[in-house]
Amino acid sequence: MIDRRRLLKSVTAGFGAAMGSSLFPGIGQAASSLAPTIAPATGKAKRIIFFLQNQGFDPATAIPKGLKEDVSLDSIELPEPIRPLEAVKDKLHIINGIHGKHTSPSHSAYFGALGGYRGGIGIPPRGETIDHVISQRLPQTVLPHLCIGMDSLDNMKSRPTLATLSATGAGKPIFMHSNPVDLYQMLFGSISEGEVRARYEARSNVLNAVENIARQGGGVLPSAEAARYGSYVEGFRDINHLREQLSDISDHLAGFAPEFGEKFTKPEFDTDWHDSLLDLGIAALKSGITNTLTIGSGRGEIFGAWKGLGVTEQGHNLGHMDQPDNDIWIKIRQYNSEMLVKLVQQLESMPEDGGTMMDNTLIVYTSNNADKQHTAGQNWPFMLLGNCGGAVKTGQFTQLDGKRPVNALYTTLLHAIGAPCDRFNMDESLAAKFDSGVGPIEQLLA
Amino acid sequence: MKTVATLCGLTAMLFATVTRAEERPTFDSVVDAFLVKYCLDCHDADTEKGDVALDDIFDVTAENAEIWKSVWEQVSLKEMPPRDKKNQPTAMERLELANWITSELEVAMADVGGFYSHKLPKKANHLPHELLFGDEVPKDLEPASTPARIWRIHPQEHLVRLNALINIDPEYNPEMPGQRTAGDRIPWNEQGEVKVYYGLDRLQAWVGGTAAYAAAITGFPPVLTTTNDHGLRNYPIMYSVNGAEATQIAALAEDVVRFMANGPIAEPWQFDAKQRQQMLQTKYKGMDIRGTVQSLQYGPDPKRPLTPVYDLVQDETVSQENLRAAVVFLFENLTGRPPTDDETDEYVTLANDSIENLGKDDGVILGLVPIFLDPDALFRPELADYGKPDEYGRVMLQDWELGLAVNAAFSFLPPDKELKQAVLDGKMKTRKDVEREVQRILDDDAFRKPRILQFFREYFDYDRAGRICKDTGALRKAGYRERNYTEVMNEMTANTDRLVELILEEDKQVLRELLTTDRVVWNPGKETLYYSTFENLKEPPKPDKDPKKRKPPTPQQLGHTILPNGETVHVRVAEEVARYRKNSPKVSERVLTHLPKGQRLGILTHPSWLVSHTDAMDNHAIHRGIWVRERLLGDATPDVPITVDAMLPDEPNNTLRHRMRVTREAECWRCHRKMDPLGLPFEQFNHIGLYRTTEHGKPVNTRGEIFFSGDPELDGPVKGPYEMIRKLAASERVEQVFVRHAFRYWIGRNETVNDAPVLQAAWHAYHDNNGSMKALIESLVTSDAFLYRTVEEE
Repeated sequence: MIDRRRLLKSVTAGFGAAMGSSLFPGIGQAASSLAPTIAPATGKAKRIIFFLQNQGFDPATAIPKGLKEDVSLDSIELPEPIRPLEAVKDKLHIINGIHGKHTSPSHSAYFGALGGYRGGIGIPPRGETIDHVISQRLPQTVLPHLCIGMDSLDNMKSRPTLATLSATGAGKPIFMHSNPVDLYQMLFGSISEGEVRARYEARSNVLNAVENIARQGGGVLPSAEAARYGSYVEGFRDINHLREQLSDISDHLAGFAPEFGEKFTKPEFDTDWHDSLLDLGIAALKSGITNTLTIGSGRGEIFGAWKGLGVTEQGHNLGHMDQPDNDIWIKIRQYNSEMLVKLVQQLESMPEDGGTMMDNTLIVYTSNNADKQHTAGQNWPFMLLGNCGGAVKTGQFTQLDGKRPVNALYTTLLHAIGAPCDRFNMDESLAAKFDSGVGPIEQLLA
Repeated sequence: MKTVATLCGLTAMLFATVTRAEERPTFDSVVDAFLVKYCLDCHDADTEKGDVALDDIFDVTAENAEIWKSVWEQVSLKEMPPRDKKNQPTAMERLELANWITSELEVAMADVGGFYSHKLPKKANHLPHELLFGDEVPKDLEPASTPARIWRIHPQEHLVRLNALINIDPEYNPEMPGQRTAGDRIPWNEQGEVKVYYGLDRLQAWVGGTAAYAAAITGFPPVLTTTNDHGLRNYPIMYSVNGAEATQIAALAEDVVRFMANGPIAEPWQFDAKQRQQMLQTKYKGMDIRGTVQSLQYGPDPKRPLTPVYDLVQDETVSQENLRAAVVFLFENLTGRPPTDDETDEYVTLANDSIENLGKDDGVILGLVPIFLDPDALFRPELADYGKPDEYGRVMLQDWELGLAVNAAFSFLPPDKELKQAVLDGKMKTRKDVEREVQRILDDDAFRKPRILQFFREYFDYDRAGRICKDTGALRKAGYRERNYTEVMNEMTANTDRLVELILEEDKQVLRELLTTDRVVWNPGKETLYYSTFENLKEPPKPDKDPKKRKPPTPQQLGHTILPNGETVHVRVAEEVARYRKNSPKVSERVLTHLPKGQRLGILTHPSWLVSHTDAMDNHAIHRGIWVRERLLGDATPDVPITVDAMLPDEPNNTLRHRMRVTREAECWRCHRKMDPLGLPFEQFNHIGLYRTTEHGKPVNTRGEIFFSGDPELDGPVKGPYEMIRKLAASERVEQVFVRHAFRYWIGRNETVNDAPVLQAAWHAYHDNNGSMKALIESLVTSDAFLYRTVEEE
């Protein structure tokens, strides 16, 4: 047995420091005192959103026919799949001609999509992903990084957490939340009342007790084993710590909680839960508890379902279809676009620093699968929304030459938030083969 | 000549002990000599063959890690020096270099994600076979031992234990040995879903059909998971329990305890057939309640296990005696051992706190939840932190740690009465004690041993077929015209499971029999297509215009193959499936029969294995080749270099063999030569497992080659799959490689050279006992590698 009592002596040694960050979904290093000090970014940006649709982002579904060169989007009509974005076109920047050849994106690059390294099914992350890095650099919040994942209803129920896209470091995935009921309890449990409240508190006590027991269990472990056991203990520590912090600001949170209605508790379609998850993400951003939101539509895998849109096909078969002029893909891309518009409008409704929250926000839309399901990643289209405190060009289409990798785009994002660097997750030997430049992609910056 | 750099600091590295180390290997003593002797002719600054120069790197750093990884793999797998060079290192020289590199990489990569690749099953064959079997095995090895560790419990173990708390599964029935039995793994249902259900045994009726039933019943899937990669999936170093899983377990535990206490969550009228009829005719009249929990009707009497948790909630007030009993019961059933008094006190206190806060009903439920998250309920300790280490730093496991380890070699349930008693009586301390229990367990069919079957699933990888997502167009082209493809694929895994068990019951030449048997367990109602010949398929007859007269076409009309009649056997089907087909007792019936002669041979030609090694569109000759290379020949291929864009051309009208021509380019072929020619003989079958004689209108080409097998008698071209399988099945080396895999599975780690005596003994046990799996397992589970733990010095 793991003899806990004999080993109380080592409890105080604690795990945290040796363990690095936790595996708990979305929490990452929730304002942890153990997290290393990271220089804050100097830009005006306060938040960033990553939205990754699975199965590929075919450029023909976003780029108006015939466009081959950089041009303002002013007088150009957006193609049908992204037509809802007309409402926010002045904030839009469509980018074509970035590559991800080194990420092995066929079917999905998984962590490699946001990490800019080779990924694949079952392969643990090789390093931190850009969303995590940015969440650490932006002005700090209680829950800096929240990840949500949308999938078929069955999958979201049977696997309410899954990690395929974001990571705090090599071998350290961040889990996405897919059950909006659980996520609601986690974020807004402290503002609930009555029975929900009593249970929330009793559960809190249980988790605190379990953390104490778990903490006592690691004393005699050989050093290699302590690391694995540590991640177990860390999980509880983070849950409990986050809950306390959220509870402290429950009065503030009350103003932002979405209506906890039947879309949460009795979803008819998978999209009911997709919408609920988005609402929770928006609430986390607007209430200021989160600075980085990662949305995985299809959860970074080759599955996913959108029955609420009238799409009866699901999962992998969707990826086998050509996307251009395909009714199903028009519906999915339009649904994405409507979500993007909702994000923009909701953030515009919140005053901040003499303007609105959206003025200090950047939204990054792409696929974890480059341009299509079976792809070598020669082209990886992106869309940006917002100017990120004036750092990024908007209302623009930019055509690049296919010689700069996704890593260069992520370097550009770091420049945009005021945390400049030369390269993101790419050493010089790889860069020699995969990147024709160094530093940010200048064409994208204002 | 190469200059030698000083490398202080690095010499203090841990180095895998080969013999009592007189001197630790250093860059100077091992690496430099090796590089000078075997590498620098081609890889120095002047020659730089393949753009690799090794003359100016002396230490291992995170920056040059990729180069060293490559050197490690190329040298271990005998890719380098090139085979045509006369001057080849000995196996021991290769191992010394490999050990130096991997231990240096562990240090160099510590801050950048760590390096543990060499500890994963995928890399186990990097240890040259001849260092374990044969003339080159070093003498005077330190005895085998395994590092002290904790082992996260297996997801099925977790599920089976939770299931045992809430369901009473049938006892073992010698008349129907394949049927679902308490302690067996929880099988997946036709959709491939693994779930434990609440109160299905009490269910008597529901509204609607099977889909409504499936929606109405409540169950839970496993919270813990293992990797879905090919090969062995469960080493201790691979898993922890993360916060997300722990929170899910906490939520699940509440539901489980609530069910243990109160039974199914339902309205009182749902337990009475008459009252329910009335409700359906009054309150729910005209309403569609299909698929809701209210649509279910339960029998009046509880069928679940009535445990101390049930007793606890019967009284108005909480009796401390009952509470204590409930804590002890849960602890023992979740961790496998009784709690200490301190542990009981701790959980009783927690439960009392909870009752005080929430009142009796909810307080009891939530108060018992922490036991489900006890470290010992999620991790099985093998720490051996007792007694004095021997001269090699080893301590033998004993008492509960030993009892639980032996139990976990076979079972997903807590130890049975006999084993528990043996531990309590102090009779779980010696190798003799272990022999006694292992023999008893192996000889008792009623003692369920799902771990043994799990080994064969992981070794053969035949359980992936239902997981392969197929392209609809590609299915049609392969001859598929039906609607239940995934269902059949999921079922076929259960059929192969049963065949494996039948061969294990005979326990004679187990591996050879599995590879070459002409027997098959099949379902004549569903699987006729998959044992057919592709060319014999016929277009389905036009359906009758009158929908009432429309009937599905018969297998004969479709040109499907009907296998001969045979013996009736039973397979495990999901409880959910058994229940909704309860009027059809044949649900678990299958036929043990013979494969079509000349078309199939052994389980590598069963659709379950074949389809498990395909992708959405076609066969996966590379995976099949890797399987033969790894699991039978004991070799491996290095990781795909990061710069390789591994894509076959998309040419729907060309054969896979032709499309794979791209792997013949010089930089690819060096590795692909080791896999493609072993996988291509299986082109005898299409990607849903149908036998074929032609492909794209031409005779199908099934030629292949066994190349560089390590056994000169095996090497050479083969005409097709049967010749290849027969050759391999007769090989002693193949048998030894099988034993190496069994070692990894039961010991939970890659073998080292120090394990050579354990492996040899295990192979002899198997070989000398006419290929007996029982003898092999007994040998492994009583070996030093299983029994001893190396402990860290204080």
